Amino acid sequence: MNDPRQPPTSGAHQPPASGAGIQERDLQIQERFEDQLIMDLERDQFVAETSRPVPRAVLSARVTVGLWALRVFVVIVSLMVIYTFIDQLH
Amino acid sequence: MSTPEVAAPPLLGRVGGPQITDEDRARSHDRARVHDARRRSKRWYLLWLLVGPGILAMLGENDGPSMIAYAADGAQYGLGFFVPFIPVLFAMAYVCQEMCMRVGAVTHRGYGELVLQRYGRVWGWFGAGDLTLTNLVTLVAEFVAIRVGLAYFHLGPGVAVALGLALVAFTLSGGRYWRWERIVLGLALFNGLFLVAAILVKPHVGAIAGSFDFSPFPGGSFNTLLLLLASTIGATVTPWMIFFQQSASADKGMTPRDVRHGRYDTAAGAVLAAIFGIGALIAGAALLAHDGSGIQGFAGAGFPEALQHVAGGAVGTVFALGLIEAGAVAILTISASTAYAAGECIGVSHSFNSSPRNAGVFYAANAGIALLAAVVILIPGAPLLSIALNANVLATVLLPVSLVFMVMLANDRGLMGAWANRRSTNAIGIAVIAFVGLCGAAYGIDSFLQAIHLVGS
Repeated sequence: MNDPRQPPTSGAHQPPASGAGIQERDLQIQERFEDQLIMDLERDQFVAETSRPVPRAVLSARVTVGLWALRVFVVIVSLMVIYTFIDQLH
Repeated sequence: MSTPEVAAPPLLGRVGGPQITDEDRARSHDRARVHDARRRSKRWYLLWLLVGPGILAMLGENDGPSMIAYAADGAQYGLGFFVPFIPVLFAMAYVCQEMCMRVGAVTHRGYGELVLQRYGRVWGWFGAGDLTLTNLVTLVAEFVAIRVGLAYFHLGPGVAVALGLALVAFTLSGGRYWRWERIVLGLALFNGLFLVAAILVKPHVGAIAGSFDFSPFPGGSFNTLLLLLASTIGATVTPWMIFFQQSASADKGMTPRDVRHGRYDTAAGAVLAAIFGIGALIAGAALLAHDGSGIQGFAGAGFPEALQHVAGGAVGTVFALGLIEAGAVAILTISASTAYAAGECIGVSHSFNSSPRNAGVFYAANAGIALLAAVVILIPGAPLLSIALNANVLATVLLPVSLVFMVMLANDRGLMGAWANRRSTNAIGIAVIAFVGLCGAAYGIDSFLQAIHLVGS
């Protein structure tokens, strides 16, 4: 598959240079490439951004009780299914 | 709540901009192609670039136990009721999976980490615990399916284990989400073998068309009906799909601009999965007219053989190959969902775009759970067929909690903004949760009461 944007390599379409000049140009090329990266990703897509936790939601007492009731119910039914499974093995 | 930090991947420091990791670079390459396709108005190419998580979630759920369950439904009850019921279930799956895709594309975060961060560690770890339990049981069932398929070709369980683990290792070796997704997508299309099997049994087209009136309703005891409903629901919507599609959508780099294509992807997956599932049902229904030929064995090694005797060697071969494919693809997607959940809940790097060095927990969880399931099927005398048959039921029982948090996330305006659920989506979502919860709970309670002899069978 074609990648429309490959990182440019030093020396490509560039006049010959030497020593510190090449190093500086490489840095500029790298910086341009990184700038391009920033343009292709949304700011909140970067790992540095997604690794920041989202703020905790405040749940009402009614929702919290509802969630716990559902959780307890599901655990009880799961235990029933596991018991039945083990019973059927005998 | 403590702050989950991503384990430090190699960062390139930039002044005034975000820190860029290798994961960002890999994702950015994929996004550059999307931007390029959009800019040049290459519509089909854009669609090709953006499909993946939806089709993989849906076809991944057309796994070994599910296809055996569909075929068993066909063999026991014929086409009536189940031919229209399967599309209804996949329509339900679409509603749930579309929410996962949307939340992943808008927040760029997986389900596990959002539940953990937004609602607290207890709920996050409960969800991850449910997922790990159901995934382990389901993965054992996937290896059983591969083993059943290979047994048709006189190959033993060792080959099933080697094949499954080799596939996991191969797909993990690339260090890129795109590569992983395309390999698994290519494999998943062979789920169409079940449609080939259905065509090969030469079904009566009129009978298929006539079955869309949901009749005849399956007979048998109340408990059998509940088991059928619970296992068939568990064959279409499961906790791993929720974790997988949201995390994979984020890992793929989808954004709110891609939600429309994400819907196409999810809908295409649902349609393909329903067609292939009905294919397995029709192939299984070939056994109905033979007074239960192979019925005793169809839950296990007898199914391809039974089809071979009744409908010919080609049908048996195609069905056996289909079971191998269904098991293999599910091993890859279910292991991936476990890896995403582990990385998200522990708070370390969790992406196929990260190298194994930078995302050790992610890769270890991915390979580790597959290895654990493989070890179980090598234990002599392990009740593999019972595990395979109960995997879907357990998934159905545990599903409502995952679905409730999914609906809560999709309604969270603080996270989703204008992309939050509409009222109609909520109404359907709540109806799906109620239906799944009732069927799972009714089966669990009724079976338990029978097991302790409080009610008769």
